[in-house]
Amino acid sequence: MAGDKAKPCELDQEKYDAEDNVKIICLGDSAVGKSKYVERPGLMERFLMDGFQPQQLSTYALTLYKHTATVDGRTVLVDFWDTAGQERFQSMHASYYHKAHACIMVFDVQRKITYKNLSTWYTELREFRPEIPCIVVANKIDADIKMTQKSFNFARKLSLPMYFVSAADGTNVVKLFNDAIRLAVSYKQNSQDFMDEILQELANFDLEQKEEALPDREQRGSSRAHLAPESGEESRSAALP
Amino acid sequence: MRMMCTAKKCGIRFQPPAIVLIYENEIKGKSRQRIMPVRNFSKFSDCNRAAEQLKNNPRHKSYLEQVPLRQLEKLFSVLRGNLWGQSLAETMEQIQRERTIDPEEDLNKLDDKELAKRKSIMDELFEKNQKKKDDPNFVYDIEVEFPQDEQLQSCGWDTESADEF
Repeated sequence: MAGDKAKPCELDQEKYDAEDNVKIICLGDSAVGKSKYVERPGLMERFLMDGFQPQQLSTYALTLYKHTATVDGRTVLVDFWDTAGQERFQSMHASYYHKAHACIMVFDVQRKITYKNLSTWYTELREFRPEIPCIVVANKIDADIKMTQKSFNFARKLSLPMYFVSAADGTNVVKLFNDAIRLAVSYKQNSQDFMDEILQELANFDLEQKEEALPDREQRGSSRAHLAPESGEESRSAALP
Repeated sequence: MRMMCTAKKCGIRFQPPAIVLIYENEIKGKSRQRIMPVRNFSKFSDCNRAAEQLKNNPRHKSYLEQVPLRQLEKLFSVLRGNLWGQSLAETMEQIQRERTIDPEEDLNKLDDKELAKRKSIMDELFEKNQKKKDDPNFVYDIEVEFPQDEQLQSCGWDTESADEF
């Protein structure tokens, strides 16, 4: 909340280019248990326990969880992005996907519809981030443990890793997030996303032109990657192909 | 002085309608019974509201502290079923049905109030299964392997067609 007030209308996504920063996004239907609902903790809270203060960015309908992890002896700053009701529209704003390094896609083993909707989420994810690692998460296995002995073709056909977890009793939650962080870091180190390169090219091109035309307004170029919800065009141009 | 009491059992009396609480007075360690009359309740009443009103009633509040709102709501549902002339078995089946999530229902399409209702149903189970961090046997990192080999039975949610999920 405090962070929201300090930076009321821009969300710096440029930092995700820095080597020690990764962005991990969560996708999935309402009420699959991604994060906290009133007093009931979600997967996010179960992993982070008390050591966090999520930022509610109501302008973007998202919740940001900051976490510091150690991967192979290196300190990594992780931002987990979670939806805050935006998923009700069955679609996320392009900026949600922008610069993400990994995705955690959650469904509820008690509700078939949340599993069926995974394909919609996945299609949208791949539209914006064709290459990033994606983990499929079957949550609420405490409610029906028999579901862990069933096969789920969605993950198998797409060769995505699948985790059976429970935010209630904690099964595999820590493993899930640690593996997601690891995948995000290795993605960032090993593959330069084609989309990123194109966007970078475009940004540079744009900057050069602007500099020529308006030499006294150097700030323009660097504010490109920031998100300004009031000027929808700009935020779109930052993330759309 | 604030009265301390341990709730033991809570039930409903149909005629005249009342919520009955068996509790233990901590000072004496003796079982006592408290009868709380149900007023202005008809077969059209909202059970959740009736439960909330009783729980917040200044005269009963301290006695009902340990009784979950859900349980009171259920008792009012039983009473309402009785007013409709249903058998207890019928009413219990209805309550069960109302407290079950339809796996096919798309919660993305519900309004805030309906979504909150579904979430409260799910919360009940969550709370039952929850391992809290102040539990003595709490373990932060629990890893369990669930091998996904070819022998598994299908979840039944995948379509037959090879191209779809």
